[in-house]
Amino acid sequence: MNKPDFTTLVDAHSAELFAYLFRLTRDEAEAQDCLQEAYLRAHRAYGRLDDRANTRAWLYRIATNTAFSHLRRRRREAAWSAPADERWPADDPSPPERAARRAQLAALAAAVERLPARQQAALVLRQYQGLSYAETAAALACSEAAARANVYQALKKLREVFRDAAQDEI
Amino acid sequence: MPPKTRFDLALDQLLAAPRPEAVARAQTALRRRLQAEQPPAVWYDLVPDTPVGPLWVAVSEAGLAAIHYGADARAWLAALRRRGFGAARRSAEKTARWRADVAAYLLGRKRSLPARVDWRGVTNFQRRVLEAAAHIPRGHVQTYQGLARELGRPQAARAVGQALRRNPVPIVLPCHRVVAADGDLRGYLGQHGVQTKAWLLHLEGARL
Repeated sequence: MNKPDFTTLVDAHSAELFAYLFRLTRDEAEAQDCLQEAYLRAHRAYGRLDDRANTRAWLYRIATNTAFSHLRRRRREAAWSAPADERWPADDPSPPERAARRAQLAALAAAVERLPARQQAALVLRQYQGLSYAETAAALACSEAAARANVYQALKKLREVFRDAAQDEI
Repeated sequence: MPPKTRFDLALDQLLAAPRPEAVARAQTALRRRLQAEQPPAVWYDLVPDTPVGPLWVAVSEAGLAAIHYGADARAWLAALRRRGFGAARRSAEKTARWRADVAAYLLGRKRSLPARVDWRGVTNFQRRVLEAAAHIPRGHVQTYQGLARELGRPQAARAVGQALRRNPVPIVLPCHRVVAADGDLRGYLGQHGVQTKAWLLHLEGARL
């Protein structure tokens, strides 16, 4: 069996992979860079890929690794210049509650930001990219149990932060 | 499914999908980038009969990619792939101009050759050496040491020799105009290396 032409992988998966990278980086330009780097890596390795391999899972794996290197670099450079509450203005209608909601959302955004990259990725893959736990585990190169644990830990942490931020405001 | 909590809604907002326009922009940029990364194709063909024997010529969109002395092109085509070129196709048409120019030069009907070269896969140092050699006028020679001095690397005569030996486009970039300090021709490319070198210098009227 011959592998399909590499360009078909662009048509088939670039939109969902961009969404994935956008959700991890929360920045269009950075997500674009990661997407291109991931596809260039994939392009170089495509010839060595097994004919029967699941190309979607393989691309998720490469995109994940690319995003992790990128996020490590970004955390090192502390490139988050804009405060979180300016990046995600809440559109809550009632003025008195508005500031509180904004602050709560900002706290949640910062917490997403501070999550270990694997937990953040597991959460995004499972809950927002529609991958199964098996597929999430494949993208993260870990066991299914570890993937479940990562999603669980991420949500636990984020819920705590969200709850605490609400109490702070009262 | 239970109704979404405020937490769920907040998280959904933070991890919302990109807008369709952003996806379209990303895909356009990606396709352009992959296109730019495609190894460029080369076209090659034989100049069967020249005073220095059969010659192969390869061209790309960027210019002359390679010239090879000899009848067998296989190892040479493999070297082109190693330099980062893509598919190689035999084409009389795409190579017509260069084959005619090189043949005319070797028959003495043309006194100079355009130096539009595709430098892909050539190191910076190699390129500097070859560009310096290209400034040696027809009919003159320079020594390995002299060229090394010109490049500001007086100790690098041997590296200069190595760079010239790997000249991807002999004749057009005249590495044959570089000789040893004692006037010895030293080395040259192809099966009849030094003989070919002497013949080219004779054609150009160099006095050794």
